[in-house]
Amino acid sequence: MAQVPPLPLGPSAGVPGSVPNQLSIETTVQQERDLAQPGVRPDEFGGAAELGFWRLSVIRFLHHRVATGALIILGVIVLAAIVVPIITGDLYRIQDYRHPYKPPFQSLQHIFGTDDLGRDEFARLLRGARVSIMVGVLAVVGYLLIGGTLGALAGYYGGWLDNALMRFTDIIISAPFLLVVIAVTAATGGVRLTTVIIVIAATGWYEIGRLMRAQFLVLREQEFVQAARALGASNTRIILRHILPNALAPIIVSATLGVSGIILLEAALGFLGYSIPPPEPSWGNMLQEFEQYLLDDKTYLVFFPATALVITALCINLVGDGIRDALDPRQR
Amino acid sequence: MTFYVVRRLAIGVFLLFLMSAMFFTLTRVTPGAPISVGENPRIHQSVIILRLHRLGLTDEKGNPYPIPQQYVLYMGALLHGDLGDSYVYNRPVTTLLMQRLPNSILLLGAALLVALAIGIPLGIFAATHQYSKTDMTTSLLSYVGVSIPSFVLGLYLLIIFGAFLKQSPLHWGFPLFGMHSGGVDDPVDLLYHMVLPVTSLAILQIAIFSRFMRASMLEVLHQDYIRTARAKGLSIEKVNYKHALRNAILPIITLVAIAIPQIVNGAIITEGIFSWPGTGQLAFQAVVDRDYPVILGVVMLVAAGTVLFNLIADVTYGVADPRIRY
Repeated sequence: MAQVPPLPLGPSAGVPGSVPNQLSIETTVQQERDLAQPGVRPDEFGGAAELGFWRLSVIRFLHHRVATGALIILGVIVLAAIVVPIITGDLYRIQDYRHPYKPPFQSLQHIFGTDDLGRDEFARLLRGARVSIMVGVLAVVGYLLIGGTLGALAGYYGGWLDNALMRFTDIIISAPFLLVVIAVTAATGGVRLTTVIIVIAATGWYEIGRLMRAQFLVLREQEFVQAARALGASNTRIILRHILPNALAPIIVSATLGVSGIILLEAALGFLGYSIPPPEPSWGNMLQEFEQYLLDDKTYLVFFPATALVITALCINLVGDGIRDALDPRQR
Repeated sequence: MTFYVVRRLAIGVFLLFLMSAMFFTLTRVTPGAPISVGENPRIHQSVIILRLHRLGLTDEKGNPYPIPQQYVLYMGALLHGDLGDSYVYNRPVTTLLMQRLPNSILLLGAALLVALAIGIPLGIFAATHQYSKTDMTTSLLSYVGVSIPSFVLGLYLLIIFGAFLKQSPLHWGFPLFGMHSGGVDDPVDLLYHMVLPVTSLAILQIAIFSRFMRASMLEVLHQDYIRTARAKGLSIEKVNYKHALRNAILPIITLVAIAIPQIVNGAIITEGIFSWPGTGQLAFQAVVDRDYPVILGVVMLVAAGTVLFNLIADVTYGVADPRIRY
């Protein structure tokens, strides 16, 4: 091609279907190859620039070493949570009264030792990881569905919906969130994981809702929206095609950070006995017997679940901050 | 100003009404609860009916009131300062709350003071020494601090000081205010018992305060009037602590108001872990016992407190910063 753009991620970067697989900025070879492909042109709606933005963000994220490291650790945890319980099977609930309180790092059979009922702590930890991650991800999807939709509608149309959203937020913020979730969980008839997820999603979405509303309030007044309206685009089309893609960046960051908040909340609920019931382990309910463990000097049984929680939450927060920096480099 | 305060108070009362209706309905549609107390076959039917009537659930003959009527009864009693009776303790919720409240205020107040006393100077220092080693360390630690929930921190502290160092009162039995010796009569003993719970509650707030203070201070330090003050020949100390600090510290007022409900939230579990006899532990125990009138009472108390503190924060902010008009 005639010219190579000065920035490696110029208008041609957004070739549909091309996944960014280079870690470095020196992508000119790939660039030229992209440009050499006939028929691939940025469409007139600026779709190429959009893809370029996301691709650029991925590269910026991967240059952030701490965030990348955290993402790798997180990946290992998620992978282990998916794979290991399949291998260990029922080990997490098989009780062995001959070997309770086996200390950790003594045998390969029970690498993290066993708990008061002789159950393998390692298998329980990873089984618990499944619960935490599942609740975290599903509840955040709930946040996005409820908060995203209501926030977008409130920001775009305003009116009573906007008022209702703000008052609901006021109520939720002024109540002790933990007690709210507990009261709702109890009222909806007992402690099942689905209930916990629904309750967390139904009470915690307001933050993303408010963020989405703020984004829509700003964006709906901008020229490109007016232009779209002048061209005859319907409200649905303006919301979905024109405003939503531009409003997404802070929502993604908030959703990522939301996952760690939910995991910690679920642990607190499990700790109080208001999450998944035993024998199914979760990081929260594994800590329920902490008094007994501490008095018996079995500190590792408190240490492992607590540390699993902290590491996971920390990694998610680091990844979230990495995403924030990547999506909005001006904020650094 | 007066109009603003009255309007805010009216909105606050309206919010509390909404919330009470929401929670009241939630706790009343919950299956079981106080009826299970009456399942003992040896208790005479009339006693059960009397008890349910006293709890505001049925009329004298044992016919259950519909939930709206129960709510009206509850709110009527609430206006007389009566939050109903606890299912478990068989005593008025107000009495239970008032008994525990001083303990909680002591603990939460201490945690807030410690957080302010450490977090703000730390943030100021980090901002005035931007990119120094202390700044980096502070940022890193505040990052970790935000990711550790206070109850996990409490468990870590118990592992370290209780199990390893054998220094903390791990096996508790902390005396209630006024009921046993110790407490306020023995300040040294009291402080000794307060160290761990206060630490576990304060760390998160220290992290938040120092982060916020750093950002706020940096923003002010980059403004023109600071450069002007320096150009006039004022010393760095005078500019930093006299010109910059005054403006940078203003937003902290709002932050404190936000921090209070957070600390209360954390205290529910932290007080339970450390057996601190406050309202948090009362709520913790009520949650375990499913003692709904107590849960409802704590929720209402915290909500009222939050609404009030938010109002106080906004008014104080207006007093501190005359540019703000209501």
